[in-house]
Amino acid sequence: MAQSEEVPSTEGDAEERRLIDRSAAGDQEAFRQLVLRYHRLVINVAFRALGELALAEDVAQDVFIKVYKALPTYRHDKPFKHWLHRVAANTVTDSLRRRRPVISLDGLEQSLVSAGSDPQDVAARHDLQRAVRYAIASLPPHYRDTIALQAFGELSYDEIAKALDIPLGTVMSRLNGAKRLLRERLGDLVRPSEEANTA
Amino acid sequence: MLSHATTRDWLIPYADGMLAVDERRRIDGHITGCPSCARELREVRELNLLLVTLPPAPPVAFAPFWLNLQAVLPHRRVLRIPGIAGYRRLGMAFAVAAIGVLAAGVSAFAAPSALPDNPLYPVKQLEESLRLELAPVNERLTIQLQLANERLREAQAMAGRHKPALAENSLRGFRVIIDDAAAALKNPADPKSAKEALQALHLKLDAVERENADRGDDDKDVKQLVADANGELDRIEQDEVAESPTLVIGEQATPRPTPQPTLRATPRPEPSDDEHHH
Repeated sequence: MAQSEEVPSTEGDAEERRLIDRSAAGDQEAFRQLVLRYHRLVINVAFRALGELALAEDVAQDVFIKVYKALPTYRHDKPFKHWLHRVAANTVTDSLRRRRPVISLDGLEQSLVSAGSDPQDVAARHDLQRAVRYAIASLPPHYRDTIALQAFGELSYDEIAKALDIPLGTVMSRLNGAKRLLRERLGDLVRPSEEANTA
Repeated sequence: MLSHATTRDWLIPYADGMLAVDERRRIDGHITGCPSCARELREVRELNLLLVTLPPAPPVAFAPFWLNLQAVLPHRRVLRIPGIAGYRRLGMAFAVAAIGVLAAGVSAFAAPSALPDNPLYPVKQLEESLRLELAPVNERLTIQLQLANERLREAQAMAGRHKPALAENSLRGFRVIIDDAAAALKNPADPKSAKEALQALHLKLDAVERENADRGDDDKDVKQLVADANGELDRIEQDEVAESPTLVIGEQATPRPTPQPTLRATPRPEPSDDEHHH
């Protein structure tokens, strides 16, 4: 299984640099080893964003194809993992935007009052997660790219700043704007349950 | 006491734990007496909860994922043809013959000295790959060293022509060749020649670096690749010293001769920080 094959990644290490250089020169075995290091990370980002494993695997493949094509222009001055995160976040949000939202937000808030293991609750939770994903995908690009790295990539503010090559203050400002818009668009879905009931 | 508007502006970094202790205290002070901001903070936390509870993917087997990916990977020029089975060598020989015919037709253009910005450069690369693949084992290292030298000649020329991306590709090609040749270089049949060859490569790398720096707008990736390549050659040299056999007479080992410093070009001053990147 995937876990047993994982090789621990040490950012910027000489081995990774060698794999990147060889992959850039067309060595597919070196690229296989790079994919082995990072496929789990990329599939996770895609799955968080899309919620379907088969689709996440397809998008993860698109990410690695983009990476393979772009490797000859990759600069070692930025950690490969950060660059990969950026490519992954862009690719998954593009994929989300191409898919038409098929969910209505009406009525969802009621099912959020309790989200236990009841099949109805589970279905409601899935619908809610889809609503969140599409709300993220509908944001303006500079907000979307930033919050996608936080929500789908689970990056910290500092890591987002490095991945996007922007100051930390800009990350704070963009996440602030992104979450304000998300709250507006998700409406009652993000109101604590007792307030949603009394609203 | 913070104003209502300022508090609302800071609620999101506050909920994300991004504020300093004194800033948090000021927000706490406001929220305690402001039901509206307290409610807004609960909403921010509810949103954060939704964002962090997006579930991770279930385990995915690597092998089928890679096979599917490999099937659609674009083909790029390959600098090395790994492990061609014996039964394919006949086919390769035909390919060489075909290329020979082709080369006869275009030899005026596709000379072995074609540089990476020459449209016929891929023909040269193919010729090199086949030449290396079909070489007898005892000639392989010699050819690898020739090709390594050729990559550095290309890198120097491309750096001189302000084509850093092509220079970087040639330097990466150099690393691939040296990686492949490393084992043979660490245990050479002729240690003296191998040492001289490594020193010559160091000098050529220095020449690439000089060419890169000469125009005052040197490319830092070229510089880094040169440094990496020098480091790789140093490691090979050190391993060669470490692995060389030591004569043992009776119970006393013959002391290993003191390693001589590697002949290197005179180091140049570091370029200034304002170097720009293409």
